[in-house]
Amino acid sequence: MKSRGSIVGGIAAILATFVVFVIPFIFIILMAFKDRRQAGQRDFSWPTSFNLWDNVVEVVTTRNWMLVTAFVNSTILTVVSVTLIVILAAMVGFVLARRESRWNPLVEFLILAGLMIPPAVVPTIWLLQGLNLFGTLHGMILIEVAYNLPFSIILYRAFIATIPRELDEAAVIDGARPLDVFFRVILPLLWPVTVTNIVVQSVGIFNDFTNPLYYLPGNQNATVQLTLYNFQSQFNTSYNLLFTNILLITIPPLIVFLFFNRQIVAGMTAGAVKG
Amino acid sequence: MTMAGLALKSLRKSYGPVEVIKGVDLTIDHGEFVVFVGPSGCGKSTLLRMIAGLEDITAGELYIGDKLCNAVEPRDRGIAMVFQNYALYPHMTVYDNVGFGLKLARTPKEERDRKIRDAARILQMEHLLDRKPSQLSGGQRQRVAIGRAIVRQPEVFLFDEPLSNLDAALRVDMRMELAKLHHDLGSTMIYVTHDQVEAMTLADKIVVLDGGVVQQVGAPIDLYQRPANLFVAGFIGSPKMNLVKAKVEAVSSNSVRVSSVDITPTDVFADTTGLKVGDEVTIGVRPQVLTAGESGSLVGRIDLVERLGSETNVSVSLQSGQSIMAVLDGDRALRAGDSIVFGFEPSSAIIFDGTGTARHPIAAE
Repeated sequence: MKSRGSIVGGIAAILATFVVFVIPFIFIILMAFKDRRQAGQRDFSWPTSFNLWDNVVEVVTTRNWMLVTAFVNSTILTVVSVTLIVILAAMVGFVLARRESRWNPLVEFLILAGLMIPPAVVPTIWLLQGLNLFGTLHGMILIEVAYNLPFSIILYRAFIATIPRELDEAAVIDGARPLDVFFRVILPLLWPVTVTNIVVQSVGIFNDFTNPLYYLPGNQNATVQLTLYNFQSQFNTSYNLLFTNILLITIPPLIVFLFFNRQIVAGMTAGAVKG
Repeated sequence: MTMAGLALKSLRKSYGPVEVIKGVDLTIDHGEFVVFVGPSGCGKSTLLRMIAGLEDITAGELYIGDKLCNAVEPRDRGIAMVFQNYALYPHMTVYDNVGFGLKLARTPKEERDRKIRDAARILQMEHLLDRKPSQLSGGQRQRVAIGRAIVRQPEVFLFDEPLSNLDAALRVDMRMELAKLHHDLGSTMIYVTHDQVEAMTLADKIVVLDGGVVQQVGAPIDLYQRPANLFVAGFIGSPKMNLVKAKVEAVSSNSVRVSSVDITPTDVFADTTGLKVGDEVTIGVRPQVLTAGESGSLVGRIDLVERLGSETNVSVSLQSGQSIMAVLDGDRALRAGDSIVFGFEPSSAIIFDGTGTARHPIAAE
């Protein structure tokens, strides 16, 4: 039985979502269809001519196929970073949840510090230069891992605390070595929270604009978000190409979300309700 | 399978300054079914986990077979353990749960399959092999947990309160199955429980623990008939043994005469070495040996009568207000509030001296 209030509330929520998320996306799509002159007016109008294909070709081929390079870079950056984050965070969470030691408070403080203290750009660049990692993709991967690790550790540790310790002990009796316990028993049980983690982190890293801007200079190192600068400058902006670019780089995260949608919700609520 | 007994030599366990196992000496022969029993927090589970290798041994020596196992990894001790909450891997099927240990040991696939199916046949759970643990009932889960232990062909089985999560009827069934399993496999089994009925029915040998100290080791019936001290006397047997305080009035070579507010002067057979007139002692009388009659040692008022048909349980307040239990044969039409007199044979009561140690009469063997 549904009350009138819940129906009205539902419609209001759908309308709000539509205004906040769908209308801007429709605007992006419309802009991608326009030619340069019409796009320059930046209004919500039907495109007068069909220019999507021309826009796409121009965006992709600009500056020596920079968008393709950017997609390759961003994919490597995202996949490697997220893999490292998942494995390292789960391992740290496992040890923190299972092994009491007098170092635990210090480790927990460092994790919280990692969450709270804003990253300082210049010293980080100085450090990266000292390590010969500045402007390299693996340096960038390490940065993303470092920035996103604390949150993932907290997520994992809370979840691992809900897994009964007898499972580890049963595995130990069964002859499992520590790595067997982790990879064969604990990690598979972390799947719900791992999916959440993968989606949240990969979208965040894929869409990261500022960090690659600071730490990853150079045309060969461009990531997808930085390609937006190709069509935007202080005096001259090609809005049709800019929005086509936005459309192209929005697609991968969208696919990830559509694909994992159900597991994300399951992961968010895992631990809240006994599974 | 090699012959594997166990020897525990002054085994100790401390958590920081708190000592929970205070020097346990114990020998377990190959093929014995040993039950550790005691109240919560007595250290029985800790002792089992030390044998399993899940807890470090603070001091003392643990031998499994002839091997000193203090520092040996659990996987190399030749043991298998069944946990109270089953501890099945939720993401694996029953088949994989049972075969997990073999997989880790890199057993060839055909052999693994054969062993898993053998274990499943022994436990009559072949039809469950494809299921996940979440699709099983409590009894089935415990069966799988036992299967996981059997398949490793251990020298020693360890059970940590395996039946306490099951309902009463299932518990009786599983208890019988465990006894049968022990008979069929013939391996050493160590079983922890707080349920003395499980202990009495399953054990070849019971180890009674309290406060991290072994109170008594022996066959179930010996513990029942000749408890070593007040703790064992009160713990083994149901309903509990009645323990009544008294003073020694006279001492002879093989009996003492005792009395108190609650007890008229009564002779009880005992080892009288060192006992003298005026000593404080405790008399232990099992509810089942009390007989109601015209005259007797204990006089009191009936508080509660439970008529079960085959027997009648009577709860009685003595003069001092202490309450005792009697289990009388057959159906008795007793009423609460009436006065009643109980007697007992001098040989069926046990004298405990001031330190709580039983003074069983020295047998004339």
